[in-house]
Amino acid sequence: METLLLIAILMPLAGAIAMGRDEQSARWLSLAVTLAVLLCACVLAAAFPIEGPQATKPFAAVRIPWPDASIHPDRPPQSLPPHLALDGLSLWLFALTALLMVVCVAISWRAIDQQVPLYHRLLLILETGMLGVFAAQDVILFYVFFEFTLVPLFFIIGIWGSEQRRWAAIKFFLYTLAGSVLTLLALLAVVLWDYFHGASGRLNFSIPLLAENLQQHPIDPQWQVLIFLGLFAGFAIKVPLFPLHTWLPLAHVQAPAAGSVLLAGVLLKIGTYGFVRFCLPMLPEATTKAMPWMLWLSLAGIIYGALVALAQSDFKRLIAYSSISHMGFCMLGIFALNRLGLQGAVLQMVNHGLSTGGLFAVVGMIYERYHTRHIADLAGLARRTPILAFFAVVLALSSIGLPGLNGFVGELLVLVGMFQRGWAEAPQPYAAQYRVIAVGATLGVVLAAWYMLWMVQQVFFGPLREPKPQHAEHDAAVRDLNVREILALAPLAVVIVWIGLWPQFFLARIAPTLDPYLNPYENISKNVFRAIPDRQHAKHTEQPAEHRQLDLRDCPDSTAALTRQTGAGAIPPVHSSNLQQTD
Amino acid sequence: MSSQTIALLAPEILLVAAAIGILLGGAFRPAAPVWRAAAWAALVAAAVVLWRQHGCTLADGMVGIDGLSYFLRWLALAVGGALLCIAERPSPSSQQPEYVGALLLAIAGLMLVVCAADMVLLFLALELISIPTYILLYLGRADAPTQEAGAKYFFLSVLASAMFLYGLCFLYGATGTTHIYVGTESLRQLMDAEGIAALTAGGWPMTLLRIGGGLVFAGLGLKIAAVPFHFYAPDVYQGTTNTNAALLSVVPKAAGLLAMLRLLSLAMPLELVWAAQLWRVAAVLAILSMSLANVLALWQDNLRRLLAYSSVAHGGYMLIAVSVAMASGGQSDGWSALAALLVYLAVYAPATIGTFSLLVYLGRNGKAIETIDELAGLGRARPLSAAMLAVLLLSLTGIPPLAGFWGKLAVFGSAVFADVAGQAGAGLWFRMLAVVGVLNAAIAAAYYLRIIGAMYFRAPREEHQPQGPTGSWVAATACVVLVLAAGVYPEPLLRAARQQAAVVHPAVEAAKQQTAFEETLSCPRPRPISVASF
Repeated sequence: METLLLIAILMPLAGAIAMGRDEQSARWLSLAVTLAVLLCACVLAAAFPIEGPQATKPFAAVRIPWPDASIHPDRPPQSLPPHLALDGLSLWLFALTALLMVVCVAISWRAIDQQVPLYHRLLLILETGMLGVFAAQDVILFYVFFEFTLVPLFFIIGIWGSEQRRWAAIKFFLYTLAGSVLTLLALLAVVLWDYFHGASGRLNFSIPLLAENLQQHPIDPQWQVLIFLGLFAGFAIKVPLFPLHTWLPLAHVQAPAAGSVLLAGVLLKIGTYGFVRFCLPMLPEATTKAMPWMLWLSLAGIIYGALVALAQSDFKRLIAYSSISHMGFCMLGIFALNRLGLQGAVLQMVNHGLSTGGLFAVVGMIYERYHTRHIADLAGLARRTPILAFFAVVLALSSIGLPGLNGFVGELLVLVGMFQRGWAEAPQPYAAQYRVIAVGATLGVVLAAWYMLWMVQQVFFGPLREPKPQHAEHDAAVRDLNVREILALAPLAVVIVWIGLWPQFFLARIAPTLDPYLNPYENISKNVFRAIPDRQHAKHTEQPAEHRQLDLRDCPDSTAALTRQTGAGAIPPVHSSNLQQTD
Repeated sequence: MSSQTIALLAPEILLVAAAIGILLGGAFRPAAPVWRAAAWAALVAAAVVLWRQHGCTLADGMVGIDGLSYFLRWLALAVGGALLCIAERPSPSSQQPEYVGALLLAIAGLMLVVCAADMVLLFLALELISIPTYILLYLGRADAPTQEAGAKYFFLSVLASAMFLYGLCFLYGATGTTHIYVGTESLRQLMDAEGIAALTAGGWPMTLLRIGGGLVFAGLGLKIAAVPFHFYAPDVYQGTTNTNAALLSVVPKAAGLLAMLRLLSLAMPLELVWAAQLWRVAAVLAILSMSLANVLALWQDNLRRLLAYSSVAHGGYMLIAVSVAMASGGQSDGWSALAALLVYLAVYAPATIGTFSLLVYLGRNGKAIETIDELAGLGRARPLSAAMLAVLLLSLTGIPPLAGFWGKLAVFGSAVFADVAGQAGAGLWFRMLAVVGVLNAAIAAAYYLRIIGAMYFRAPREEHQPQGPTGSWVAATACVVLVLAAGVYPEPLLRAARQQAAVVHPAVEAAKQQTAFEETLSCPRPRPISVASF
């Protein structure tokens, strides 16, 4: 498995290097590589342990030649923490990346006809970067991949984008870079704290080790806030959290279809992933302090994104703003800081990648046929292209959250988590606020149904209306999806239904990893922050681990008890069975 | 001066001897191709000799060789090789021997700067860089801007030397000796005799140190083009050739930074650095250099002006490491600021020299590339050259996994990790310095991306047919390979820098242990001076 993980990450890079000058062979090579990576990801997902002590440990852990070894010259390399591994948080995002890459190669087959080998090279390099971000278990390695993803996407937007592509590419790059450099400093500060205050007295870059050490030696509260702000700068821009979203619509609209798919499907997730990976376990006090702020910002993003999406006349802009709204849900779930919310948020990351990624692919296909992105130019396409309409409807419904499709499970878990935070687990001074936020977020779901269904109805139903062909080649030649395009969209639809009908399969692998992340937040509702039962006590005694184990054992029970209090009827049967299983 | 010293200085002696030979012989047979071959032979011979010196340290009179010197001598030789490659055809070929000879002298000067343990040798070595540079600046082209650039650099460089020398006089006044490390010892004795509190409270030695330190900062600041001493850089870079700009952006900068480090950090008792607040001067220079240069670079259309501001900004990043080294005494395990400076110099040099050599290569009809517009569409017309330039510029931006990232990580890491817990407020200063630094790195990305954007996102204006010398292409390729290799697998570079930075000057080691000082240094012991003697 270890080798498989390494192969999956490095194969795209090797493919990019090996790519020749011929256009057709570049496409096939790209497809072959992405399919092989998808296969690796599937094998890894299948072999991922569900139960037992292995389920909470990093899976497929592997070390690579990396500078941190020279900091520990006295220790054998085998005893050092791994650099790359998967766990419940990253597993599905890893698999999602592998899946969306295949889709991207497929939808770029004809759409990209300029500088084809360079395009596929960049796509494959981007894949290595994205897979690496999710697999990285080392702070510096994470950051390397995190920033590395900017470069290929910068070129993809800038070379193959539409009219304003130059400005869009540069704005995207600078905006993201400006935030992420501060993230680097914040990450270094975490390492610094561990170095000066941890027991080992060593520079330690391993993410799980840092998280573990920082639970025993928490960072000073005022430092936590500063570090949180640093991490926030990079991750919130990436998500993007309102009001830092202004780069996103431009980048999405100007990017080629595959660029939009990857941007929405994978790259935005890096932001939410970073919040879960770093802020929750390492900065518990700052996270608790920031919780109301983050929740309000998430709500603002949900409502603002949805309202602006309602006013759009351009497909891509509409979906871009819907992305802001949906990512708001992910952030809401994360900062509800309870079990349901966090699980829902992680699942919703995958869901959003599938549905929004798919919608951008559909828009790309429409654009390829009609060379327009204006909703008003089109109507009744279901008559002309029924299969395309079918997929568009499925993806739109998934995005809205129709029961039986994936979006429902994710959004429901997030909302139930938020309602739980607002009523059952409400910390006193904030209870009223949290209730408003919970109700407001529900409004976002309604708005989402409104703009999505409006768009689908306008474009695909009613009397047929098509723009006049600008080129002779498009004259009456608008065909429905060909086999390649169907094969590109079908896997997305299958997974969408799969998650919708059997979320258990996915949640069971997510939950064991996430549960320890919530240990420090058990007592928020009592309005007493007790990340470590007694700071001084924990420092001076030798067994802080005991406290954590206690917390671990308490965690599922209390959550289960609370869900029972809130009324089990609100929780879908799939979920309660999930609780039982992970208990 | 013992025979051992001569043996250890053999690389420099070889280079100077070869340079003199080339300059003399060139007077009689100016066009012979043999001079370039001779220069190459000298460089290779120097490298071979240097190779055999691995691990050697020396403290003998004016010369002191330690890990820092060893690392930077290698860097100097590599820079010399790259510049020799680029300068395959300086425009009027009759000036080839002069060009090559002056280049070798400047490289030897850089190698001597890093080996100097005495103020006099340090000053002479810096002049050995400056004087050949004046010649090089006049040799490049023969038009009005070149004349202006040459004259401007000459006068300002002379001014810098004068200020530096004046600063050295004050340091001499404070220590009573020209020897850097003997001076350290006398300062330490002074501290022991008078107590640090009495020194800090006032008195002449402290005032002399402050004035001397300030003048040294000003003089060396002109060499490394730190804001506010940077103003000549854009004009000079624009007026001269790309090859000379490459030389200017690396050689005087490395020399100035090292001299600053030697005089004001390694050779100063830490308590005095703190009392005189010298690290704060370096920190302010760093902030000014980074912020001003990066913002001004955004408005430049001329490539060499832009790269001039970029090199000023990179000088600013390196000043962060210098400041941290001053405040923390240079050493802390894991993230030494000295190692950070070495790493940064080692990743900055190939990226900058590679960029300039690509600009030489892409020139047409003997005319170099001047503006960003001339690069438009290069991604389509010359994919390989454009990709190489993009890699180098992204490395200068500090995007992983290219070498520049590791330089930035090391420098900003050294500021974040600065072990200055004993000094109130300094930790905050350095962490602020790191924040300013990373924000500047983001600003800098804007102008590097402008160049990359022009190459890839715009239509070609005309057919690009590079006619530059193949040597420049070879140099650029070597630089790109280095940048990529050090970026993907930085371990050897980081380890080498860390190891060499840990090999401090034997005199410093001895002073630390307070034992056997006379045996280490064969210099006459200075007259101890005290506050009362003034």
